[in-house]
Amino acid sequence: MKILEGNAGALTNFEVLDFLRSRGASKDPTRVLVPVAQSEFKVYDYLVESGACNQTRESVNEFFEKCKKFKLAKAEMLNIINIRPSSLVEIDSVIEQSDTRFDEEQLEELVDLAVTLLPPHPNQTIIEEGTNENEGPAEGANENEQGTAEGDQVGEDQKGTSDGEEIGDVEKMDDS
Amino acid sequence: MLVGARSLSETVKMFYLSKIEHTLRLPPHLLSRPLDEAIKLELENIFLDKVVANLGLCISVYDIFKIEGGFIFPGEGASTYTVEFRLVVFRPFVGEIIAAKLKESDANGLRLSLGFFDDIYIPSHLLPSPSRSEPDPDKRYDVRWIWEFGDTKYLIDGIDEIKFRVLSVKYPPIPIEQPEGSKPFAPMVVTGSIDYDGLGPVSWW
Repeated sequence: MKILEGNAGALTNFEVLDFLRSRGASKDPTRVLVPVAQSEFKVYDYLVESGACNQTRESVNEFFEKCKKFKLAKAEMLNIINIRPSSLVEIDSVIEQSDTRFDEEQLEELVDLAVTLLPPHPNQTIIEEGTNENEGPAEGANENEQGTAEGDQVGEDQKGTSDGEEIGDVEKMDDS
Repeated sequence: MLVGARSLSETVKMFYLSKIEHTLRLPPHLLSRPLDEAIKLELENIFLDKVVANLGLCISVYDIFKIEGGFIFPGEGASTYTVEFRLVVFRPFVGEIIAAKLKESDANGLRLSLGFFDDIYIPSHLLPSPSRSEPDPDKRYDVRWIWEFGDTKYLIDGIDEIKFRVLSVKYPPIPIEQPEGSKPFAPMVVTGSIDYDGLGPVSWW
């Protein structure tokens, strides 16, 4: 066996989840007929419980765009997308030397961006709000492009810190 | 001005794609299937859920680039192919923050599990200080860790997920002999720490 390229590309959690979904992995207990191995199902189970299950390609791209002005390292942006911090404390462990690089206002802005652009994962919604606003991911074994997430996506343009939030529906484009 | 420890040109994530070339023998019971399906099945048999040193834990076969060969060597009953393909591997980077579940806790520290990967250890000196352990009333050999911060005591129980930061990923060499009754050999060991703000069980914050 020869390793040609140890690092031929990096994948976000969401992309791995998408790939497994396109192979046919899903949450239902009858998993015998699908060409997905047991170990792959374990990875799928883990990813589904993490924040990646409700993300779509657009929300991740949008988050990247908005984060550019903060000049975060790639590792930090990735950590934020995977973890989806909902408070200042959680951002602090992700960003190195956050107190010298950013002031409190900017950190709050970053937390707001993460909270609004990236949908919360199931455990978070139960703890935070007590209502499960996001339903489970659509079981699309035929969709090769994107996993569609059911549930409202909150997208907004935020300039500086604002108190009011405008919740708009983002149009989802289906390629299938 | 970035003070990060990594250069910007290198993207760091938890899952990577690795391009591999491998020569494999296609077992005869797969001959009835179309070639790429058969090759994929055999690759999955060989690589899935196995650790490749310095590469990580192989999760799944992403795609196949080319298949060459198909020769039958003398004395063999099946043909041999040289395949170039990409694998999705799990290789956490140092500094990554991962949420995992508690698997067991003993006097040396904690052991966490991700479902598909179980060898995550948090040694006792990397728990937030001061912590102390007390014998768990439920299970005889387990120990429960408690973090005392000021006056309040925070418990590490197995109920919610624990966020930890990856400190190191090691691939210990395969031992030649193992003493009886020791733990099965772990080809990839991740060491983590929860000694920062925001880490530890989710309920703490």
